Amino acid sequence: MFGLFRSKGDASRTQRLRTLSLFVTLTPGELKIVDGLLHERKFLKDEVIFDKGDEGQAIYIIIDGSVLIWPQGKPVDGQIIELGPGTFFGDLALLDNSVRSAQARAAMNTTVAVFFRADFMGLLQTHSLITSKISLQLARHIGKRLRESHNLANSPQHL
Amino acid sequence: MNEPVNDSGPIVGALIIAITCLLLLAFQRILFLVVPFLLALIFYYILYPTVERLVLAGMSRRAAASLLTLAFLVVVAVCVSLMLPWIILRLNDWEMAVERYLQGGIGLLERLLAELEERYGILQRAHLAGTVAQRLNEFTGGFAEHYVEPIALGIAGWTPSLLLAPFLAFFFLKDGHYFQTFLVRAVPNAFFEKTLYLMNQVDQAARAYFVGLIKLTVLDSVTLALGLWLMGMPAPLGLGLLAAVLAWVPYVGSILGGLLMALVAATDFPTEPAMAVWVVGLFILVRLLDDFLYMPLTIGKSLNMHPLVSVLMIFAGGAVAGISGLMLALPVLGVVRVVCETIGAVVTDPRLMARYWHGRALRKAQANADL
Repeated sequence: MFGLFRSKGDASRTQRLRTLSLFVTLTPGELKIVDGLLHERKFLKDEVIFDKGDEGQAIYIIIDGSVLIWPQGKPVDGQIIELGPGTFFGDLALLDNSVRSAQARAAMNTTVAVFFRADFMGLLQTHSLITSKISLQLARHIGKRLRESHNLANSPQHL
Repeated sequence: MNEPVNDSGPIVGALIIAITCLLLLAFQRILFLVVPFLLALIFYYILYPTVERLVLAGMSRRAAASLLTLAFLVVVAVCVSLMLPWIILRLNDWEMAVERYLQGGIGLLERLLAELEERYGILQRAHLAGTVAQRLNEFTGGFAEHYVEPIALGIAGWTPSLLLAPFLAFFFLKDGHYFQTFLVRAVPNAFFEKTLYLMNQVDQAARAYFVGLIKLTVLDSVTLALGLWLMGMPAPLGLGLLAAVLAWVPYVGSILGGLLMALVAATDFPTEPAMAVWVVGLFILVRLLDDFLYMPLTIGKSLNMHPLVSVLMIFAGGAVAGISGLMLALPVLGVVRVVCETIGAVVTDPRLMARYWHGRALRKAQANADL
């Protein structure tokens, strides 16, 4: 009866999610639960996904297409990061409701899966094992990014 | 409700109250649907964590929802089949019992007033005890025959409608999150995160309110039952539960519950007027416990409303939609408040509106690209 509410292609999205670093440690059953909480959104090329200063409520996972992350305003060379399928952004929003530190804009027609913080917190109550696994992957990702920026700051061309 | 999205102005405030009153009026007309819907919502919030655990254990959501709904229906069926013959047998007794308890209450009042008359001459000259007793007897004469049977028939008439509740709860449990995703799919990208936040706030408020209400009822029932049992009152658990359920109707229900317990004490202990006073004392103590301990532990500040607004809204709800208005005023006001404040925050945010129009222009351009 409620079948009309279900989005098409859930199975293929689950397959794609399985390869993401954030969910790589989840079992198929756990991944199915997480997939049930994701929202799929389609953005056109140049459409703003979020602005710098917005209150972050969700993490975005790129399913298809690419996304540009840059400081708000005109794009400046060297300050633009392009993310492709399988990557995610806005991850700090999963941990707290801090404001977005940059703008995200679709570089081409893009499909993203959105994981809402409140759903993550709800999952923490009911399936703490799943959230532990996701949190560990998230911590690894943030640690890697920290190391990279540290290495970049200490590299000879920055001295 | 949690933190409001922003400070709403007087126009939004007036709009919130007007929409709440209109909804209460509409709900009164479709009460046969609203009541099972609310019951289903309560079942959903209570059973949802178990469904999630079963899903994690490897069961499909459909199977988990079916299993729990079936278990619930079996429990209800067993309870009804056990209680129905007993209720039918005692319906006649209850009619007489209501009459007896009303007479007991009037007797207590008469005795108290007679004592007052003895102390104060002015009351004796006014024949206060006799006049009040006569008026009350006139008012309550034939109360049981006039009201008990219609109430029992009314409850029986509601049964088919109440059977909808487990049916609805099953679909909430099975497809609830699909429904949320389905609703959000209709929201433009620019407002997506704000809308998700709004829906979550509404969900959290409703969950906190309804689950809190059930917990509060259990706590109230147990405390009252314990107190009544210690005093030696008959059927302490039944009386405690009835008073706790009556308290679902804010303010008015509480008073009714206290009155009911006092009537039972006055009738069953006619020679001990102190018993009625003790029962009223217990009731007041539980109300205080409710306000200062149980409420913060259960419903908490789920609605986060000024007490004056709450009281006024309850009476406005009562005036607009009777008993259903009294009961539904606060949860409906809480939900309408979050919805209105969030919509207000979205449509008055120039950047969000600009992003919305930008997104629309992009979609239009894409649609026209090869024309």
